Amino acid sequence: MKLPLALLLTPLLNIVAGLHTSNWAVLVGTSRFWFNYRHLANVLSMYRTVKRLGIPDSQIILMLPDDMACNPRNAFPGTVYSNSDRAVDLYGDNIEVDYRGYEVTVENFIRLLTDQMPRSKRLLTDDRSNIFVYMTGHGGNEFLKFQDAEEIGAPDLADAFEQMWEKKRYHEILFMIDTCQANTMYSKLYSPNIIATGSSELDQSSYSHHADNDVGVAVIDRYTYYNLEFLESEVRDTSSKKTIGDLFDSYSYEKIHSHAGVRYDLFKGGADAARSRLLTDFFGNVQNVEIDGTRNTTMIDDELISLSKTIARLSELAHEEEMAAKMVAPPSQKVGRHRRSQSR
Amino acid sequence: MSADIQNDGDSKPTCAEATVSLPATGIATVEGKEPPPEKEADTRRRSWIVLSFWLIAVFIGLPIWWNTTTIYRANLPLGQMTDWADGKACEPVFPLRIALDVGALPEQEAQNLLRLTQHALDDLNDFSGHHLRLQLAQAPTEATAPVRDDSNVALTIRLAPGDAAHTASSSLHPHLPILDVQYPPNSLPTANSPSSGLATYIATQLGATFAEEQNIISYLLESSSITSEHRPKGISQEVVDTVSKRMTRSLKYSQTYHLTFSLFTNGPVPSSWDIEAAIDQYMKPVLDMLRPIHNFTIDTQVQLYASPGVQSLVLGKEDLSSFVNAAEWPLSPSIGGAPTVNFIVYTGNHTIGVPSEASPGETSQSWMIPQWGSVYLLAPPAEATHVSSETLKQPILTFTSHLLTLLGTPQSGSLPMRLSTLARIRSADLLLRASSSLGSLARLTLALPSISIPSNVADGVVKTIHHLELACASLGGAKSLEHARIAEAEAERAFFEKSMVGQLYFPDEHKVAVYLPLLGPIGVPLVMGLLNEIKAWKNRRSQKLKAA
Repeated sequence: MKLPLALLLTPLLNIVAGLHTSNWAVLVGTSRFWFNYRHLANVLSMYRTVKRLGIPDSQIILMLPDDMACNPRNAFPGTVYSNSDRAVDLYGDNIEVDYRGYEVTVENFIRLLTDQMPRSKRLLTDDRSNIFVYMTGHGGNEFLKFQDAEEIGAPDLADAFEQMWEKKRYHEILFMIDTCQANTMYSKLYSPNIIATGSSELDQSSYSHHADNDVGVAVIDRYTYYNLEFLESEVRDTSSKKTIGDLFDSYSYEKIHSHAGVRYDLFKGGADAARSRLLTDFFGNVQNVEIDGTRNTTMIDDELISLSKTIARLSELAHEEEMAAKMVAPPSQKVGRHRRSQSR
Repeated sequence: MSADIQNDGDSKPTCAEATVSLPATGIATVEGKEPPPEKEADTRRRSWIVLSFWLIAVFIGLPIWWNTTTIYRANLPLGQMTDWADGKACEPVFPLRIALDVGALPEQEAQNLLRLTQHALDDLNDFSGHHLRLQLAQAPTEATAPVRDDSNVALTIRLAPGDAAHTASSSLHPHLPILDVQYPPNSLPTANSPSSGLATYIATQLGATFAEEQNIISYLLESSSITSEHRPKGISQEVVDTVSKRMTRSLKYSQTYHLTFSLFTNGPVPSSWDIEAAIDQYMKPVLDMLRPIHNFTIDTQVQLYASPGVQSLVLGKEDLSSFVNAAEWPLSPSIGGAPTVNFIVYTGNHTIGVPSEASPGETSQSWMIPQWGSVYLLAPPAEATHVSSETLKQPILTFTSHLLTLLGTPQSGSLPMRLSTLARIRSADLLLRASSSLGSLARLTLALPSISIPSNVADGVVKTIHHLELACASLGGAKSLEHARIAEAEAERAFFEKSMVGQLYFPDEHKVAVYLPLLGPIGVPLVMGLLNEIKAWKNRRSQKLKAA
């Protein structure tokens, strides 16, 4: 009995697995001020990684509440580093910040997710889009602080995802959060097809990795640091076959100094399906281009053009005739319409 | 003098003690130095004051607080919305009328042929959601003047007697939705025959003509949440795969598309192109033809020294997907307005290193990016600075065929048939999409009790349902696309209402923190006053009882 069932299921699974057609990333830092340098460095490092793996800027939403590169306290103006070796300038020459400064608010973030933002960069995803959502900042039990002024609650985040799911705005989501008590932030999620991971449990802090003595502040958080380390060393390009499970297995208390959490139960197929997803399904970009045949299609196309000309002319003629008919007998039509509406 | 003052000072504490003890002991303990007993009128006045404070708090304060803090939730016809989403409100049935133009055949024979063909059709087609219904053409029409009076006729079959020696043959008219059938005269059914070769032949031809449309529509129904007895019996996995691939690459329906033509060059030349003439000549006719279904706006740009996203000159399959340099090329990401379709002509020395499946050994010059647009690699033209419209012919023609694919035009059949099929597919798609939006909105309304629902959302829902009904009634007809379009737009607008943002979760600590500073100072005197009054009233009553 088992074999035929498995055979039946295989093609279905294949369809599901091969469904997504675009990749998007939403990268959000939520803290301001110089002492939170590391949060902005976290976000920029993630930005660099997803861009390296091929997600175009038009499909990355970057929210940065402060500009560390231009901070007067920055000893290295115009640059942001996430490592004290200062090998890679994260600010680089090509970064596109979509929401900056005071535009980074809870409301804008939720509106971005639910697409109720009429005049700004939008998250134009559909039911075939995989989204990577990364958040970092200062948080607590079931909340993440935005800019010292407000906070987003875990239930609000869950409702926003639910709104996205209802409107078929994602295929699968990888939600990653690096903040104190981060795991509480995804505890309230209830929409399907979300894999969630966080840096620390309830009542655990999320620690910074190291400080740069010349910059003068901590430059990156531990959880983000080890995520990046894995991505940099194991996922060199989009052909990498490393899975979500491989990444999650690389977390350890010794490295992160807090208990990183993962959540699979929302995902269709549970832990096994979630763990077997490729990292490039979320961090990389898929684009199934279709190459044309070399067959000379000009002949056919020429025919197509002349055909369309004829059809356009015919439909125009038909339209004119219709208009003429209307012009001839407008009163009777009006009466007819009137009567119909009365009979209702 | 100083002693006097001190005396006064000394006497005060006693006075204070007395006043403090007063409320505790009540009116009954009035002694020596205590203030004179309260007058009856004063007591009554105080009761009135306390009462009036309470009245104000309860009858003015509470309603104002309630009104200003409750979330407005307009009434939505939830039942109706769910019905639409579940497909209970509308049976997605596409009755396609097919006119049979029998030419000079006598009425009796024509009726007979019609009946037999309809039988054969019904036997052939088990998908009742997509139903082909035959009828006789009203008036025998001349070859040059096609049937145009009834736009609900999807296809006209024109029968003409042919050679007796040959078997029946058919061909689709290139300009009009007409299927020309040539039949040997002896194949006409006799009055009593139960079946006929010609009828079966016509039915098979019709089935083949509409096969793609049926597949797509049954795919749409299958992938929607609608449950219906008109659901197809199940389509083969192969068909699902091809249709799903096609649907995946086509753009979402929109009334207007924005076409962007970009010329990117790897050096300083060419710096100009005859794009306007080329579009007019090679693409405009198709755009005109699509006018009843879509509108198009066009813009063009030239960008010099544009480097692609990959380094190598020979592009492998992996390179193609990252060739478009999204970071540096100024391609509109469709902010607001219509969705953008990008067409890129790149002049440079790049070649595609992937042998195409059609003809291995040779390489292609263009590729299509699903839901996005297409890229054409143009070898640098001879007259270095200018690209003539002749040179652009091939690219624009390629783009035209890509555009048709991106719009989801079916691939088989004659052009007019493909167009009318496109209109029907799109109206089915929009209808299903609007219905599912309604369902989502209904579920969301129930799931998020704290979200506000402004009245214009309710209006939008009512409008959506109205137009859905109209579209459903005219499915397969000409008006259904229009109605489905409005319904879908209204449903989207209702769902994406700006003020419906779920940001209303406040933890209980927050509520306490907000209300305590406000209600504490007001509430304590109010409650204490009420308690005192009640106590005094009880005292008075017990005294009255004693006195009695």
